[in-house]
Parts: sequence; structure tokens; C-alpha cells
Amino acid sequence: MSNVVMEIENLHARIGAKEILKGLNLQLEEGKVHAIMGPNGAGKSTLSKAITGHYDVEVTEGAIRYKGQEIVDWEPEDRALEGIFLSFQNPVEIPGVNNAYFLRTAVNAKRKHQGLEELNAAEFLREMKALVQELGMKPEMINRSLNEGFSGGEKKRNEILQMMMLQPDLIILDEIDSGLDIDALRAVSEGINKMKDGKRSFLVITHYSRILDYIEPDYIHVLKDGKIIKTAGPELVAELEEKGYGAIEEA
Amino acid sequence: MRPMLLGEMTPETLMEELGTSPSKALAARRLAQLGMPTRKSEAYRYFDIEPLMAHDWEILRNEASAEIAESEEQIVITDGRVTALPKGVEVQVGCSDAIDLDGNHFDPLYYLGHLLSPEVISIRFKEDAKVTLVHRFTQPGKLLAYRTAIYLDANTHVQIDERFEGEQACGALILSGSDVFISRDATLTLIKDETLKEGDYVPILSHRIKVDSQALCRLHSFDFGAGSGLQLIRVQLHEHARIDADHLLYATDHARRGTVSQIVHIGQSSVSNQRAKNILAEKARGIFDALIKVEHTGKYTKAHQNSKAILLNDGAYMASKPQLEIYIDDLEASHGSTTGQLDEAQLFYLRSRGIAKEEARKMLILAFANELIDALEDERMRERLHASFETAYWGVTNVTCMETCHGCEDLAAGTAAK
Ligand SMILES: Nc1ncnc2c1ncn2[C@@H]1O[C@H](COP(=O)(O)OP(=O)(O)OP(=O)(O)O)[C@@H](O)[C@H]1O
Ligand SMILES: [Mg+2]
Repeated sequence: MSNVVMEIENLHARIGAKEILKGLNLQLEEGKVHAIMGPNGAGKSTLSKAITGHYDVEVTEGAIRYKGQEIVDWEPEDRALEGIFLSFQNPVEIPGVNNAYFLRTAVNAKRKHQGLEELNAAEFLREMKALVQELGMKPEMINRSLNEGFSGGEKKRNEILQMMMLQPDLIILDEIDSGLDIDALRAVSEGINKMKDGKRSFLVITHYSRILDYIEPDYIHVLKDGKIIKTAGPELVAELEEKGYGAIEEA
Repeated sequence: MRPMLLGEMTPETLMEELGTSPSKALAARRLAQLGMPTRKSEAYRYFDIEPLMAHDWEILRNEASAEIAESEEQIVITDGRVTALPKGVEVQVGCSDAIDLDGNHFDPLYYLGHLLSPEVISIRFKEDAKVTLVHRFTQPGKLLAYRTAIYLDANTHVQIDERFEGEQACGALILSGSDVFISRDATLTLIKDETLKEGDYVPILSHRIKVDSQALCRLHSFDFGAGSGLQLIRVQLHEHARIDADHLLYATDHARRGTVSQIVHIGQSSVSNQRAKNILAEKARGIFDALIKVEHTGKYTKAHQNSKAILLNDGAYMASKPQLEIYIDDLEASHGSTTGQLDEAQLFYLRSRGIAKEEARKMLILAFANELIDALEDERMRERLHASFETAYWGVTNVTCMETCHGCEDLAAGTAAK
């Protein structure tokens, strides 16, 4: 077995007074692609929020260990600087914050954290521009306000752009495939595949097998009612498509 | 002149003190009707005026300086006296009889300012111009009253960049402001940039702006810092006249700061568009007390007014009172007001990308302010105001090209093409 990059143990978490994660266990391996599938409202996005330190989610019990360290008390920015990245199911719009300025600030915060020299505006723009083209985004996106007025698909591509610029170690993709047209799905999947380097780990939350055809997961986990109830290889996808979640019993 | 307790003055005693002239008589009569400002005065209901009225002020009197320096593009008024002028700008200094006072101003201190001003500094633009108007205050702890009048001849297009320098004038009270006359088809862009530190002078700037037929006034006020002050503005719009008024306020510590305004649509098809954005930190109080009034004669008027406030601390407070007073049916009007905190979801998004909390907050605050800074047409002014805002908020500025200019697209395109 490869090294474990993240180990989630007996995680209980709530939003407001409502317990959403109810003793969830999950191990993510270095260099592997893990897919999470599960019914609406099962707690998939809540899990991604718990990992990234979202203010809505309160962890009441259990542990999240990342590269051997317990991160439940870490600030969101520290988790990000240490390599955790979440592509949001619904990225927020931030009017008045220039997309390029935002991303350069983020990239340079990370470079500074790693003891690297900051990129100047020209170097940064050269890289960003190249990736924008690769992802089939309109060049004007560079100087628009962050996500403001972006279509659903444009927002998702912008998340992937950020992922590619930030070069994280653990990438969580929350329904990156929803709302994407066929070309966008291909561009986004190619972007993700390019990021695979045998070290980097992925947690892909999805409802559809289509994206999994492109990015070939190593493991499929089924999340239902706040717990991982089954873990198997990619062959599970076909079974789920056929029988639905109702047929999966807690192991 | 002996010291004055403003709160105990009556128009009669003032007239005795100051001598009579027709316009002073009008000012005195209006002041008598409105009464000296108290906590109960409409215009000052959110501003703490009483300590200023109860203070025993020594009135600053300066002799006219013989020397008026010639400058590139700056008009400098030092302690109420013109001390520098650019070539080509006509300035007359004369008694207030020369100007046509607003007989219906809502602000008693508009009239008191006129009564106490020895004369009015009249600046007349006969052709297009871009000038900087510097108000410099050097005397601490005194009351300085002076008035300016600005005239734009028909068809002229003028930009005035108004600045304030008063580091040495701590504790002073400035009763000032302009009577502005914008003739037919003329355009005035007035950009006011005033950052006050705690303990600085207190400006009470009372303006009246008359916008003639088809003329346009663009007013951009930028009030920043920890000091207190108020601007009171009455605007009269004639046929097809238009005003776009933007007010960006960033107040902190114990500041009380803001705008009290009255925009009156007199002529038909006149347009007003007023936007206030207020950022309040610590225990600051922001004021946006703004009335739009559409007279019977103001058919087909368009009047829009909006105020947004962000409170950065629990102790901060926004007094926002947008109001419409309408005497006709045929018009398009809207007004609204919101007060809230920084958006948590936006803050989290930025932090989840590795941007530290303080930096993320700053980005969101700048984003909120940017809308009104970016509304400036003049690119150099945009850059200056970005820097002013950053300095007021952050203590230093590190505005980079990506925050202010939109030429980066070209740069990006250029570098990628190679
Ligand atoms: N801010 C919130 N306030 C109250 N309840 C919430 C909040 N966010 C999520 N929930 C609830 O938590 C539960 C889990 O939501 P979550 O978003 O994690 O589901 P999900 O598995 O991602 O579903 P989907 O497939 O629809 O995206 C749902 O019942 C949802 O209504
Ligand atoms: Mg979800």
C-alpha cells in the first residue's frame, strides 16, 4: 500500500445543531485518485468543508490527519498553504476583486510560504495566460472580477485554473463536472490528468460516471448518511449506476 | 474680534458685530429662521455639533497677502486667502454681495459661514480647465470661516481636484464650502479627497450647487480617516440637468463623518444618481442623510439613490437615511440602503486559496471601495485615490498596476504573443 496522505478517523461534524458527518472514516493515498459518490444531502460537500476548515462546519469528534499532522484546529489559509485545495461546488462571486490580482496574491502567498521568490506581474501573467488558453477560457476572464457573472462552466474552469497555478498536493473536486458541456468536461479532465504525478492525491466528488471515464479513479467510496459505507475499485461505478445507492448495504 | 460662543449668538448680535449688507441680511434672516444648530437640528441630527457650538472660538482673521504666487495648475487657499494661482484662471475676491445666495438652503451653518466670511473667493472658468484646488489650514484651535464661489461659463468642461492640507491646524473648526454655478451645457467634475486624522481640524463644508439646463455635475467625494467632519450639499437641477454624486467614506476610531444632502429637481427631465459607500471601523459613525426632492415642475425626472455600508467592528454604526419627496407622478425613482458585514463566504474563498485573513479582508474592503474609485474617468486620479484609500486603511500603500489599471490585458497579450 502507498503512503497515506490524509487519514480521517471517526469524524463527527455538524452544521448548526444538525449532525451531518456521523463517524466517517477515510484514508487517502498518495498519488491516487479517490472518488466519492453518494446521494444528495449525504454530507459530501460537508466533508470537503470539514477538510478545508469552513466556518459552517464544526468538528465535534474524531480526527483529520494530513501528512501526519492533526489539522482540525488549523486556519483555512494554513491548510491551503500546506497543499490542500478545494474546487468548490458553487464558487462565490467576488465583485471588485480582479481575477489576476487575486490569483497572483494566492500564488505568491504560497511561494512565500515555500521560501520561493514572488513572481512579478509579467511572469505571472505569462503563465496565467497560457493556462487560460489551454483551458479554453476567454482571455478577458483574466481581468474580470473574480467569478462575477461567470457562467457555471466558466466558474468551474476558473477553479481548475487556480488548481493548476497553485500546484497543490491534495486536491478535492466537489462536483467539478456538474454544469460542464462536453468540451469543457474534456478540457477540465485533461487539466486534472496533467496534474497527476504519482505524488499528488485527488478526492473527486461526483454523481456521474462520465468524468470517471476520463480521470480513472483508483478507489470508489460511497458516502451515505454521514459515513463511508463502502469502498471498492472502479468496477463499483457500473454497479451503482445499475442498482442505485439503495442497494448498497453498510459493510 | 472678541471670542464667540456660536451657540449664544443671534442673527441680531451677528449683524451688529459684522455690519450689514443685502446678502448678509438675507443670510441673517435665514439663520434666524433655521436657528443655530443644536442636537435637534435636522441637518445635524447624527453629528455631534453641540460641543463645537458651545466652544469659545477665536475667529481667525488674516490680512490679504500681497503675494500671490503663480503656479502650474494649483489654486492654493491658505487660511482662507488665495496664495497661489495658475495662469488663465480668473479669481476675484470680493464681498458676498457679489454672489447670489441660496435662499432655501437647509443648513444654518451655510448662512453662518457666509455671515462670518469677510468676503467670497470667486473662481470663474471661461474655458475648459483641469485644476487642483488646495485648501491649506495652518492655525490650530481657531475658527476659520471662508467661502468660495465657482462659476462655469456655458459649454465649459472643468475638472477640479480638491485637496486639503491641515496637519498643523489641529482642533480648528473650518466653516467653509462653495457656491457652485454650472451654466448651460457645462460639465463640472469635482473630486474631493480629504483624509482626517484624529484631533485634526473639523471641516463643516456647506455647499450649494446650481446646475443649469443641460449641464452636468459629477461629484466624487472621498472622505477617509479617524477625524470628524460633515459635508452638507444642496443641489438644484434645472431642465435636463444631471448630477452624478458618489460618496466614498472610510471612517475609523471615534470619527463622525459623512454627507447630508438635498437634491432638488426643479426642471423637467433632470437626472440625479447618488451612490454612497461607507466603510466603518472601530467606533466610527457614518452619516448619509440624503433627501431627493422632485418639485411639481420636475416632470420626467430620474432620481436614483443608494447607500451601502460595511461595519468592520461591533462598535461601528451607520446612520443611513435616503429619502424621496415627490410631488408628481411622471418620474422614475428608486432608493435603497443596506448595512452589513464583510461576506463570510467570500472571505473563506480567499483564505481557502492561502491568502491570510487580514489580507483577504483588505482585498474585500478594497473591492467594495473600488466601484466608486473606478468611476473616476481620469486614470491618474484613480491611481491617486487608490493610494489615498490604501494609506488611510492600511497605513501604507502598495498599489500595483494590477489593482488600478486595465492595461494588463495588453501586457498579458503582448508577452504571450512573443
Ligand atoms: N449551511 C447549512 N445550514 C443548514 N444545513 C445545511 C447547511 N449546509 C448543508 N446543510 C445540510 O447538510 C446536509 C449535507 O449537505 P451536503 O451539502 O454536505 O450534501 P452533499 O452530499 O454534498 O449533497 P449534494 O449531492 O446535493 O451536493 C444536507 O441535509 C444539507 O441540507
Ligand atoms: Mg454537495
